Amino acid sequence: MKKLALLAVVFVVLQSCNSVKPYEMQKINDPDMKLSARTTEKYESTFQVYREGAAGANGGKSGGGCGCN
Amino acid sequence: MKKIILLSCLFTRFISIAQEKDTTSVFKKRVLENTEVDFLSSYYNQDGTHAAVSGGLGTEKLKDFATNIVVATPLNDDDFLTFDVGLSAYTSASSSNVNPFSNSTTSTSSGASGHVTTTTVNNTPPVGTPWQASSGASKGGTLWALNSNYSHSSEDRNFIWNADLSLSTEFNYKSFGFGGGVTKLFNDKDTEISLKSNIYLDNWNAIYPTELHEYAKYGNDFQLYGYFKGVAILDQNGNVTTAYLPSTFRPWTSTGRNSYSVSLSFSQVLTKKSQISIFTDILQQQGMLSTPYQRVYFADKANYYIGKVQYISVYETSANTGVYHLADDIERMPNTRFKLPIGLRWNYYVNESLAIRSYYRYYWDNWGINAHTANIEIPYKISDKFTVYPMYRYYVQTAAKYFAPYEKHLSTEQYYTSDYDLSAFNASQYGFGVDYTDIFANATFFGMGVKNIDFRFNHYSRSDGLSANIGTLGIKFIIQ
Repeated sequence: MKKLALLAVVFVVLQSCNSVKPYEMQKINDPDMKLSARTTEKYESTFQVYREGAAGANGGKSGGGCGCN
Repeated sequence: MKKIILLSCLFTRFISIAQEKDTTSVFKKRVLENTEVDFLSSYYNQDGTHAAVSGGLGTEKLKDFATNIVVATPLNDDDFLTFDVGLSAYTSASSSNVNPFSNSTTSTSSGASGHVTTTTVNNTPPVGTPWQASSGASKGGTLWALNSNYSHSSEDRNFIWNADLSLSTEFNYKSFGFGGGVTKLFNDKDTEISLKSNIYLDNWNAIYPTELHEYAKYGNDFQLYGYFKGVAILDQNGNVTTAYLPSTFRPWTSTGRNSYSVSLSFSQVLTKKSQISIFTDILQQQGMLSTPYQRVYFADKANYYIGKVQYISVYETSANTGVYHLADDIERMPNTRFKLPIGLRWNYYVNESLAIRSYYRYYWDNWGINAHTANIEIPYKISDKFTVYPMYRYYVQTAAKYFAPYEKHLSTEQYYTSDYDLSAFNASQYGFGVDYTDIFANATFFGMGVKNIDFRFNHYSRSDGLSANIGTLGIKFIIQ
């Protein structure tokens, strides 16, 4: 499993050697392709921070600002 | 060796990107064309059988209604300001069972310390149970939050800096935070690297379980005064006793909690149809990291109760509707915690109707929790404006080394908690969303153009029995 994950990461990094020009970005600029959580995910992230031990690396708060863990 | 190869690839790629000079002449577009207003609202409910306030058993019922208004307004071509004002109103068994005892003629008052005190005014014995929410004054609460952010983009839009400020307050917790960050874009904006840092200076208004509050207030003779005056305390056999003395308990003398975070992220357009982002938050927390109203019961201490004798034998089941176990102490956690989550997003545009949005996170902290999170969302366009998106999220964690269930801790331990949020479990979340997007915002509402409406619903199920539902509605307006 770890080998597969490693290979997948190496594969996508090597793939990125070809630059995509601004005029070729139509598909990348589709709203569903945004590299961030949807605005409406805000509340789900909040309850997950309260109900789970892990937090962070999702664009939200990672521990400060609430009485959660 | 594999790690070295991987790091070499990433490093080589990074260097090549950094050396490329962006010479594209870019038409200068306003960073934000119009003022945008987001109305967000959600309803959340949960239930479970491992209430932390009752030492790891009892009802976890909670309902929360939250709403936010987010206004982003351009200041000029390069700068914009965002305000996010939020209100969350909740009722929870956790809050109410800080004082689980109800009887027909009690009065409640809030003292100078903010602690809710209940005074018995006749001889009706108080009754409580961890399996029902008490009707006490602390049954619910509200959380107010304000976040603001200022963002500036360079002339060529390849460099952005921002600063943010946040405030929040609820009946037992206050937070003040500030921070800032920088973002650099390279390689025709195919590559983005950002660095940000935040500091939160938080403070608890420490609310303790009623029995421990009274002990702290009156000392060893606390059964003669205040709440416990005239109240019968029962031992494990149901006999009235005065032997209950939670001498392990000490109130917190310092209630501050500071959090310091540094976030790094790297995003890369891979092909015309796929892009990836790798990010991490490095977080250090210091101060009062325990929750002061969460009870702990020790296996090596005798048990004492308030309520009806007949329910002692069924205390750990929902058949107990009339007796409550008095706490030995509250949870005690170390006053530092280091967290290291690393996340990855990969999005792939399959065709004009279908895309794949995926997310993975690995999390580690020095309390002993290791966790994996995987999320997939598959947006499918059913017309040029409507998209439906089913989604699934899987989460698994190991237990914090300070966790043990109800009555499994020993009083000789230094740190302890029976909060099942820190236990070993896995969780599944699944649901769907419906999204309406009109980039021209042709439809109007009170003179504002409707750019986006997004509704989503999810069910969350944890392997320890906790389950929850959450529905969220978001509407984005454009003010032209």
